[in-house]
Amino acid sequence: MPALAVRRLVLLLPTVLGVVTLVFAFLHLLPGDPVEIMLGEWAAPADVAALRRELGLDRPLAAQYVRFLAHAARGDLGHSIAFRAPVARVIAARYPATLELAAAAFALALVFALPLGVLAAVRRGTALDRAARLASLSGACLPSFWLGPLLMLAFSIRLGWLPVAGRGGLAHLVLPAVTLGLGMAGILVRLTRASLLAALGEDYVRTARAKGAPGWRAVGVHALRNALVPVVTVLGLQAGALLAGAIITETVFAWPGLGRLVVQAIQARDYPLVQGCVLAIGVSYVAVNTAADLLARAFDPRLLEDRR
Amino acid sequence: MLGSLADGCGEALPPPGTLVVAFDSDPDSLDPRFQTDANGARLADLLYAGLTRADAAGRRIPELARTWEMADSRSFVFRLRPDFRFPDGTAVTAADVKATYDAVRDPALASPKRAALATLSAIEAPDPTTVVMRLTEPFAPLLDATGLGILPAARAREAGDVTTGAGPFQLVSAERGDRLVLAPNPGYPDGAPRLRAVVVRIVPDELVRVLELRRGGVHLVEDAPEPETVAWLATVPSLLVRRIPGTSFVYLALNLRDPRLADRRVREALTLALDREGLVRFVLGGAARPATGLLAPEHWAYASTRQPRHDPRRARRLLDLAGYRALRPDTPRFRLVYKTSAQPVRRRLAEAVQAELGAVGIAVDVRVYEWGTLYADVRSGNFELASLAWVGVTDPDLYYLAFHSTMMPPAGYNRGAYVSRVTDRLTKAGRQTFEPARRRAIYARVQRRLAHDLPVVPLWWEDRVVVQPRRLHGFEPSPSGDLRGLASAWLD
Amino acid sequence: MRRAGARAALAGVTTLVLLALGGAVAPWLAPAGPYAADLTGRLGPPSDAHLFGQDTLGRDVLARVLYGARISLGVGAATVVLSLAAGTLLGCVAGYAGGWVDEGLARVIDVLLAFPGLLLAIALAALRGPSLPNVVLALSVLGWTGYARLARAAVMTLRRREFVEAALALGATPVRIVCRHLLPLAAPMLLVQATFGMAGAIVAEGSLSFLGVGAPPPLPSWGAMIDEGRPFLLVAPHLVLFPGLALAVAVLALQLLGDGLRDVLDVRAEASARGVIPP
Repeated sequence: MPALAVRRLVLLLPTVLGVVTLVFAFLHLLPGDPVEIMLGEWAAPADVAALRRELGLDRPLAAQYVRFLAHAARGDLGHSIAFRAPVARVIAARYPATLELAAAAFALALVFALPLGVLAAVRRGTALDRAARLASLSGACLPSFWLGPLLMLAFSIRLGWLPVAGRGGLAHLVLPAVTLGLGMAGILVRLTRASLLAALGEDYVRTARAKGAPGWRAVGVHALRNALVPVVTVLGLQAGALLAGAIITETVFAWPGLGRLVVQAIQARDYPLVQGCVLAIGVSYVAVNTAADLLARAFDPRLLEDRR
Repeated sequence: MLGSLADGCGEALPPPGTLVVAFDSDPDSLDPRFQTDANGARLADLLYAGLTRADAAGRRIPELARTWEMADSRSFVFRLRPDFRFPDGTAVTAADVKATYDAVRDPALASPKRAALATLSAIEAPDPTTVVMRLTEPFAPLLDATGLGILPAARAREAGDVTTGAGPFQLVSAERGDRLVLAPNPGYPDGAPRLRAVVVRIVPDELVRVLELRRGGVHLVEDAPEPETVAWLATVPSLLVRRIPGTSFVYLALNLRDPRLADRRVREALTLALDREGLVRFVLGGAARPATGLLAPEHWAYASTRQPRHDPRRARRLLDLAGYRALRPDTPRFRLVYKTSAQPVRRRLAEAVQAELGAVGIAVDVRVYEWGTLYADVRSGNFELASLAWVGVTDPDLYYLAFHSTMMPPAGYNRGAYVSRVTDRLTKAGRQTFEPARRRAIYARVQRRLAHDLPVVPLWWEDRVVVQPRRLHGFEPSPSGDLRGLASAWLD
Repeated sequence: MRRAGARAALAGVTTLVLLALGGAVAPWLAPAGPYAADLTGRLGPPSDAHLFGQDTLGRDVLARVLYGARISLGVGAATVVLSLAAGTLLGCVAGYAGGWVDEGLARVIDVLLAFPGLLLAIALAALRGPSLPNVVLALSVLGWTGYARLARAAVMTLRRREFVEAALALGATPVRIVCRHLLPLAAPMLLVQATFGMAGAIVAEGSLSFLGVGAPPPLPSWGAMIDEGRPFLLVAPHLVLFPGLALAVAVLALQLLGDGLRDVLDVRAEASARGVIPP
C-alpha cells in the first residue's frame, strides 16, 4: 500500500506540469496584452515597453515558461500584474473561501445523499425509491445560475430566512452550498443506490440473508462497505466538477473565492495570477482524487491490484 | 470600534448608521497612483484629496489648493489650505504633494497616470503651502491631472498599495473582491462625514444586487439596473430611485480604414438610419438623452450642434449615391461586423442596431466578446463597428486624444484612424490655450466639425440612475457617478 | 425491473422526440420567427398573440424556445458525437495497447479534468471568433474523457477473454477484434454515458452563456435565453421560466433515458464498481 501511495503521489507531478503548461500556452495565445490592459490607454509606448521588460514579458515564450517553472518550484508564483502583490498572497487570501464553500457543498451532499441512496436501495421499488431517484435527477436539470436566484427569491426575499449573497457567517453559506452541492448530491444518491444494490445482489449476501443467519446484518454492513468503493472513487472525480461549478456559484453569490478570481484574472490577462490559480486548482483536484483513490483501496483491498 | 465594524460583516443586516454600497466589480486599485477604472475613481474620490476636483460641469474647483494661478505660460502656482489632515492627524503639506507627483512621474513605479503628467518638467514645494509646477510647454489639460489623490510623503514611493489619504473617509479594511470598509476621517476640514461607516460590497451580478436591495443587505446602488427592474424597485417602500442627466457618452466606433466607412456619406447614412429616441426608449427604458457628441450639455465647453435625425429614406439615398446599391430587394448592400461586449444593454443595443441598419439594406453581423478581447481588437484596428463609451469626461482635451491623426493606438484613442487637418489644428490649439472663453470657442468649432464628419456615430448620454434608501438624506448624486455626496449625507 | 427501466427509457425518448419535433416544425408553429424584434412589445407577458410572452427585444419567446430546441439539442448532440468518437478511439487504443500508451492517456485525462474549462472556452471564442461551432469544440474537448475511460476499461477487461485469444489465433487483426467484438460489448455503457453526456453538454452551454462565451446572440439557445432573462426575473419571470423549463425537461428526459437504458441493457453496477460510470 505505501508503495502504491508513493507511486500515485509521484504521478501527481507530470499531471500538474501538464496543466500548467497547457494554461501557459493558452494564455499566451489569447489576444490582449496584460500590460496594455493594466496601464490603460493613457500609457506612453515607452512606459509600456519598460513595464514589459520589468515583468519579463518581452523574453521568448520558452524562457518565460522555464522561469515560471523554476520560480514555482521554489514556491514563488510570481507577481500579480493587476493586484500588484505576490500571486501566492492573493491566492492564499481567496483560497479559504472556496475551500469553505466546496467543503460545505460536499458535506451537505454527503449528509443528505448517502442515507437517501442507502434507503432507496434497501426499499427498492417502493414510492420512496422512485421519489429519491426523481429528486436526484433534479440536480442536473437546474443549473446553478438559474437555481441560485430561485433559492434567493424563495429563502431570502419571500421567507426572509437567509441573506441573499456574500460571505459571512453560517447563514451566508447555506444557499451557495446547496446550489453548488445539488448536482453532486443527485449523482451520489443514484450511485450509492446502484452500488449498494449490486453489492447486495452478490452471492454471499444473498446466501446469508436466505439462511437468516444472525450475522446477516454484519454481512449487509460489509456489502455497504464494498458499495462505498465506487462511491469514493467517483467522489474524487466530482471534486473537479465542484471546483468548476464554484466559478458560477461564486459569481452568482458574490462569494470571494478562487473561482471568481480566475475569471477576473483571465479577463485582465493577468498571466501570473491565472497560472497560479490554475496551479492551485489543479493541485487541489489531483490531491483530492489521489486521496479518494487511496481511500477506495483502503476500503477494498481487491482493488490494490491497480485494475483501474 | 473600527475593528468591530470590520467583523460585523457576519450579520445579515449591518449596524445602524452604516451605509452599504454595492459595486459591480472590484476596483482595479485602491491606490491613487495606480487606479484607472471607474470604481477605483469613485473610491479615490472618497479616500483622497487632490489639488483640485471637477464639478458637475467639468470645471476644476479647489480642494487641497485654495487658489491657483499661472505665474507665466509655463508654470502654475498652487496655494494650499493648511487644514487638510491625514487620518493620523498630520497636516497635508506641499512636501506631500511634491512627493506624490514625483512618485507618479517615476518610471520605475509604472504608474498608468505617468503619461498624463508628461508635460510636467518639475514640481517644487518652496514652502509648506505653496506648490509650483513647471511645464515643458503650454498645456491646458494639465489641470485635469491635478485631481490626483495626495499620499503622505513618507509613503509616496512605496511599491505596494498605499491607501492613506486626506479625503472625507479613510479605509479601515479591504478584502479585495469582497468588501471594503470606510470610516469618517475625523480631520476632514469641511466637516467629518456624519455616516458612521460606509461598507462597499462587490456584487458582480445585477440580479443579486437588486435582490440585496430588496432585502436590505445593500442600501445604495449606483450602477443602473435594467429599467423595468428600476420601476419595480421604485415600488419598494424603503427605497428611493433618483435619476439625473448623466455624462457617459455611448457611441458606435467606426473604423475608417475600411473603404466603405471612409466615405462620409456612408457614415452619415449609418447615423440617419438609427432612431436614437427609439433606441433610448427601448434599449434603456428612456434613461438617456440622444447625444450629438462627446460632451454633454452640462459641460462648460459644450456647443450645441444639430441633433442627427432619423431618416431611413435619406440614408438609403446616400448609400445609393455612394455607390452601394442593393442588387435585389432582399439582398443587402454590404455586410458589417459589429463587435460588442457581453453586457446586456450593449447586447440589446447591438440587436436593435442590427435591425435598424438592416432596414436600410446593411446586413450587420453581431459578435459578442468578453471585454479584454474586445478591447484588444478595437485597439489593434481589428473591427468595423464597435459599441463603446466615454465615461467621466472632464477635460475637452479628450478630443485631441481621440481624434488627432497622430493619436492612433497605441499612442492614443483614435481607434478609427480618423484624419482631418482641421481637427488636428483645432485640437492642438485647444490644449495650448488657457483662456477659458477662447478655449471654449475652439472646442465649439471642433464639435461642429465632428458633427459634420461623423468619425463616430453618437448614440446617447446615459442618465445616472441611483437607488438609495429613503432614510438617507443630504446625498446628491453626481452626473459623473462619483460618490462624493456621501461626505455630506446622513442616515435617519 | 427491466420493465420499469423500459418505461423510463420510453418516457425519456418520447419527450426528446417531442422536443426535437418542436424544433423541427418551429417555422410552422411560430411563423413570426425567433428574430423578429418588436421593440414596442418589450417584456410583454404571455398573451394570445404571444403564448410565452415577449423578450427584451419584443421577440416571441415561444418561437425562440422552439428554435432553441434545435440549437440546444443540436449542441448537445454534436458535442456528444464528437466526444464519443474521439474518446472511444483513444480509449480503445489505450486499452488495447496497454503499457506506456495507457499511462500516457491516463495522464492526459487527468490533466484535462483539472483544466479550467472556462479558460479554454474564452480562448477559443477569442481566437476563432465567438460561434456555436467553437462552443461545441470547447465542450467536446473537455468531455471526451468519460468515454475514453469507459472504452479503455471495457477493452482492457474483455481483451483477456478466451474468444479474443481464439480470434487472434485465427488471424484477426487487433482493429477487427476491437471493432467487431469488443466495441459492441462496450456499446451499451457508452450509449448510457452518451445520454448523460448530452444532458451535461446542454447545461454546460448555459454556463458558458452565463460567463459570456456561449452561443452568440441572437441565437436562441436555451442557456443564452436564461442568461439574458435573468436580470428580469423579478419583473418578467416568463423570460427565464420557459427556456428554463425546456432545458430542465430535456435534461430530465435524457437522464430518464440513460437510467432506463441502463436497466434495460443490464449495464450493471459491475461497471460502476470499477469507478467507470457515474450513474
